[in-house]
Amino acid sequence: MDININGRIVTVPEKFRDVTLLEFIRSSVGLKGTKYGCGAGLCGACTVHIDGAAVRSCQTVAADAVGRRVTTIEGLSKVAPEAGLHPVQTAWIEEAVPQCGYCQPGQIMTAVALLAHDPNPSDDTIRNEMSGNLCRCGTYPRIHRAIVRAARERGNHDVRR
Amino acid sequence: MMSADSHNRISRRRFLIRSGWLAVGATVVASCSSFRSLLPALPTFDDPELEDSLTWVQVLPTGGIRFFCPRMEMGQGASLGLSQVVAEELNVDQSEIECVLPNTQQTPPFKMTVSSESIADFFDPVSYGAARLREALRTVAAKKAGIRPGQIRDGRGGFVLPDGSALRYGALVPSEPLVISDPAVSEAEKNPPRYALQRQGAYKAIGHKWKHTELEKIVTGQTVFSQDVALPAMLHGQVIRPPSFGAILLDADGRVAQAMSGVVAVVVDKKSNFVGVVADNPFVLPGAIEAISAKWHVADDIDQNSLDEILDVEDLRARDDFEHKLASSGDIDIGRQRARHRVSARYDTPFLAHAAMEPRAAVASVGGNRVEIWCGSQDPFFVQRRVAEIVGRAEDEVVVYSHRMGGAFGGRIRCQASEEAAILSAAVDRPVRVSWDREAEFQNNYFQPVYSHFIDAGVTPTGAISHWDHDFVSSPILTGSVPKSISWAVDMFTADEGTARGGMPPYRVADRRVRYSDVRTEVPVGAWRGLGAAPNSFAIESVMDELAASAGIDPLEFRLQNLSPTQERLAGVLRRVAKLSGWGRVMPQGAGRGLACAVYKGETAVAIVVEIEVDRATGEVRATKVWCAQDCGLVVNPNQVEAQIAGNIVWGCGMALKEQITIAAGSVEERNFDGYEILRHHETPEINVALVAPPDTPPVGAGEAAIAPVAAAIANAVFDATGHRARRLPICGARVIP
Repeated sequence: MDININGRIVTVPEKFRDVTLLEFIRSSVGLKGTKYGCGAGLCGACTVHIDGAAVRSCQTVAADAVGRRVTTIEGLSKVAPEAGLHPVQTAWIEEAVPQCGYCQPGQIMTAVALLAHDPNPSDDTIRNEMSGNLCRCGTYPRIHRAIVRAARERGNHDVRR
Repeated sequence: MMSADSHNRISRRRFLIRSGWLAVGATVVASCSSFRSLLPALPTFDDPELEDSLTWVQVLPTGGIRFFCPRMEMGQGASLGLSQVVAEELNVDQSEIECVLPNTQQTPPFKMTVSSESIADFFDPVSYGAARLREALRTVAAKKAGIRPGQIRDGRGGFVLPDGSALRYGALVPSEPLVISDPAVSEAEKNPPRYALQRQGAYKAIGHKWKHTELEKIVTGQTVFSQDVALPAMLHGQVIRPPSFGAILLDADGRVAQAMSGVVAVVVDKKSNFVGVVADNPFVLPGAIEAISAKWHVADDIDQNSLDEILDVEDLRARDDFEHKLASSGDIDIGRQRARHRVSARYDTPFLAHAAMEPRAAVASVGGNRVEIWCGSQDPFFVQRRVAEIVGRAEDEVVVYSHRMGGAFGGRIRCQASEEAAILSAAVDRPVRVSWDREAEFQNNYFQPVYSHFIDAGVTPTGAISHWDHDFVSSPILTGSVPKSISWAVDMFTADEGTARGGMPPYRVADRRVRYSDVRTEVPVGAWRGLGAAPNSFAIESVMDELAASAGIDPLEFRLQNLSPTQERLAGVLRRVAKLSGWGRVMPQGAGRGLACAVYKGETAVAIVVEIEVDRATGEVRATKVWCAQDCGLVVNPNQVEAQIAGNIVWGCGMALKEQITIAAGSVEERNFDGYEILRHHETPEINVALVAPPDTPPVGAGEAAIAPVAAAIANAVFDATGHRARRLPICGARVIP
């Protein structure tokens, strides 16, 4: 009954097997960076990675993550190629994306998963892949720019190597 | 009056003592509306006073600056912009300012954070407070060096003495609080030089693209929103809210829930219409709520049709029954006779929700001698008053700790979650957290009211506007939150300015009449981004487009030639947006362009051009490109203002094309983001923004100006593409197909 959350092994108590992964991460593990937005898989605020794939943690029960590797916004820097912030987080700061900031952890988790399977996404790919993450402040244009920036800078980094 | 004033003076003094004032403070006499103390707790309306600002800025013994920002932060970036004003006055860098969202003990009460006023109305007092602090410190420095203050020059983070040596602020902070009482201050000291007003063209902080210090915390998930507050011994509460508007609790049986493992208490208070449950963990709450059988008297006869009948402009016109007149000049019947082309049209907009991404939450700790609330509110002092009233404590026993809000948009003025948490905490004598789910947000908050407009206008043979006869009906917005017990008196004596915001056309018309009614219904309404600005502009700017089309005049030319002579700045942004967008370009089949403009709160001029595509099969409209020129005077942070404009445009696209709240059987039909759709990433247009301002113009509102003309520009583009006039929002695909 163990989940690897951000590199740390967490045991899911029997009584919490059926609570959502979101509620388990926030209330039981105490990691508050993953956000509740709708509880219905409609807004993307609760996005985490399970074995590297973006997943709506409000639509997953804790038991379903057992034996798997869960990454939250707090663990993102640990899977970054270099120490410190993940390049997508850096790009988010460079483009000054957040307004209120509440949806941004979910946006970033979706963007990181997108760039992992498509390192150089087209504009249309970004639009479609990000369409499940809502932002009421309307930061979409800057989100878009930050993803393009992160892809470009990773490309530059690879070229330098 | 005497007693009110002296009470106020004492409370400010007490504030200074309580907060252990470090550097400079003041005791002042505030103007006070004595009658307000007789009313139930109301939001905080008073405009900032210069003297209040003396309590907002501190110098720390380290030399750093602590800025108690008198504006709440919801992503608009006011705390950043105002920090730049502080930095300008005190000659410090961003890294030297610690910006704090103050709790209710750290500053005197300040006005609720609404209405795009944070830079417009607080630039001046923040500048004043920081400048007074700087000059007071200069006096201290002069005494210390044994020279006159005039001999001491400014340096970075402090001063420079005549011999060239630096004296940092930190070295000047006294060990005892230094309090300036007003009578002891000379006139010169009361009017310090104001770098934020005087350095135009040579600013060191203002006008620069500072980034918010919170960004790194946000992108790493470290920011603590009210949803994220956790106290060590905290319990978890949930509330059963009325199932319809005005429902009355008849009975609730909590015995089964009470017996459940983990449940601490079931709280039923019929007098307050309140049923809630407290548990030692959040996981048992859904089951416990389900186990409580609550019986309500439900008012289920309110539905969208009955509301639309009440808010029907044509019905009011038939009865010639409008309560308020915004304008009346000349004679519209005579003007009408001059019209060669006439337009008579009705425009309607629906109830709308804020749909901020963070559902509201609060933690309350109602203890023996102290009540503490952790929440995100546009008006923490209203929370303080409301909670004091509800738990029967003195206001100064209640402390409200403010958190960054996950979006607000006018939707976080009432204090629901804080009140619920306080009731539950008082019942169990432990700290209790209450958080709303998405359904509660849609069902139990307040809304932008329905607007119903009718405009009759015309164009003379020379292309002038012959007459302007505009009637509309909606509900009171600014006073939407007043308790029912006093709403009749409020309605008797006030015309709601929020409802009417943006209702006056910026055009020259001799014969005109603008009337409106603000009718209260059972549906709770209140501030929503821009208040009346967006729905009123939708009607006015759509009719302007209709008039231009009927007379065969280009919409840009028609506006420019009919602008009132006082609207030079609006003319400026119209010309700028035309240039930016290449106005006049011929559109391909299935695409169209629309133009609209507005002056927000009589101050901020904004013009928008939208390019849209219409799917010929479904009629679905998508905004593909938007150009915006805005004149909001001095721009303190271009990065932030551009972000606000983009946000307004995205919001305006959602309003025009998707958003709608409908009422059935006394409650809201929409429960989540599938029923209430907001704009998504892939629907977002490419956005180009130009900021323009004449030199030496003070900053005016930027947080909700650009939303005003967006819907009209989109509707006008739909007409350009299809020949169809979209007169009802949201613009529905099926109706658009030519």
